[in-house]
Amino acid sequence: MNRGPLSPFAQTVLPILGAGSLILAWQVLLPLAGVPAYIVPTPTAIAGVFARNGSLLLSNLWPTAIEALSGFVLGNLAAVLLAVVFVHSRTLQAAYFPVVLFFNTIPVLALAPVVILIFGLGMLPKIVIAAVICFFPTLINMIRGLESASPSEHELFRVLSATRWEVFWRLRLPRALPMLFASLRIASATAVIGAIVGEWIGSDKGLGALIIQATFNYQSDRLYAAIVLSSLLSIGFFVAVVAAERWSVRYR
Amino acid sequence: MAAPAIETSGLDVGYPGRRSPVTVISGLELTVEAGTFLSILGSSGCGKSTFLRVVADLLAPLAGTIRVMGETPSAVRSGRGVGFVFQDSTLLPWRTARENVRLPIQVGRRSLSRMIDDRADELLELVGLSALSERLPHQLSGGQRQRLAIARALLGEPRLLLMDEPFGALDEITRDRLNDELLNLWRRTETTVLFVTHSIAEAVYLGQRVIVLAAHPGRIVADHDLRPLKGPDNRCSREDPAIVAAMARMRSALGAAS
Repeated sequence: MNRGPLSPFAQTVLPILGAGSLILAWQVLLPLAGVPAYIVPTPTAIAGVFARNGSLLLSNLWPTAIEALSGFVLGNLAAVLLAVVFVHSRTLQAAYFPVVLFFNTIPVLALAPVVILIFGLGMLPKIVIAAVICFFPTLINMIRGLESASPSEHELFRVLSATRWEVFWRLRLPRALPMLFASLRIASATAVIGAIVGEWIGSDKGLGALIIQATFNYQSDRLYAAIVLSSLLSIGFFVAVVAAERWSVRYR
Repeated sequence: MAAPAIETSGLDVGYPGRRSPVTVISGLELTVEAGTFLSILGSSGCGKSTFLRVVADLLAPLAGTIRVMGETPSAVRSGRGVGFVFQDSTLLPWRTARENVRLPIQVGRRSLSRMIDDRADELLELVGLSALSERLPHQLSGGQRQRLAIARALLGEPRLLLMDEPFGALDEITRDRLNDELLNLWRRTETTVLFVTHSIAEAVYLGQRVIVLAAHPGRIVADHDLRPLKGPDNRCSREDPAIVAAMARMRSALGAAS
């Protein structure tokens, strides 16, 4: 059997063919098997929702996108800043890291009603939930990344009498970037989850609200369209993060 | 008469351990004339790298005194008097070869003048890497990376160059070539070199003077002046019977101590 590397053409075309074959099977086989459309609508029915109710979907996409993006930025920013504080102060890290660790064990779903109680029903609580869900993995990765410079790298900077500031900007931060981006890639998907979970608990707009409404009204084609759109939103964030990573981490 | 490059008295060297400090070398008495190429030979654990770190002010001595060119190690370090070459090249992987060599003028409280900026290209030329100056470290061979590390250490024109087994991870052919290049660089400067190695052949080939350290406790068990064999420009042939005999003497000094 040929186990050599695939040609670039095959590498591009094969995933498309793979996904296409599954969608085709879904379209043809599921109705044949007698699965009713209110449980699993066909891909063409879902595509039909995009054509018919495009503006409805779009008007529900924006709130979720804004919440997820704001939560992503705030949560990761807070995590990065706290990681910087922690690696520069062992005292603060020893005092507060266990608290953060405990906080992380609270399931976001359990926390969401509290956040809504505090921040009301607007966009803010969804942003907070998305931020909370992004926060912890980035904090852990960023601390590890900032500590990942080798002893001899630190010795090199000390021989050069570098200031703490210089050690941070020219050694710790560039060293931390690959690990930061690893968690940002994960956060690009979890931020969308956070925003949607927030919308489930109390909202009349957004993809989460649309999912709940469509479920209760047995509009399963609309439900599936909302799911597809949520997934596309995550993919959009993911691609943006990967592009930023390519631009800023050019070695390796 | 210039102050000696290194002058120690009753120097205890080691690490601040968890409960009590761990002494690796105790009572070191060593004087090194300025401009010397000194090889420090010893097996693992004898404290040769630890001693280098005390000279570079990366570690404080546990007891005793050390003067580096008549000053304290910390004064010499903050005055950019030392260059350090590590066993692993310690190049920053996100910087090009040229940017790695320029690191010393971008950090440190006493930033060096613009004039030295031009020296980056000169040093790249000197270590034969001008054509590769825009490459990233992972695109270079092990030998090329160590050449860069040496160029970086020499950028600030240090009076003292400390080298901690810099060629330890290289193959023998590359190592021999880099030994010759290092001697050529040293002849062009008036730098004192402290070269730590566990290779007897390398220690003898490079050094004008070789001190042999033994472990447990770390101490000097032999101190050879090779200048009578090598002349003022420190040249020798690896096959010279006198050099071979010197290697044998050091091997027996190491053997007797262990």
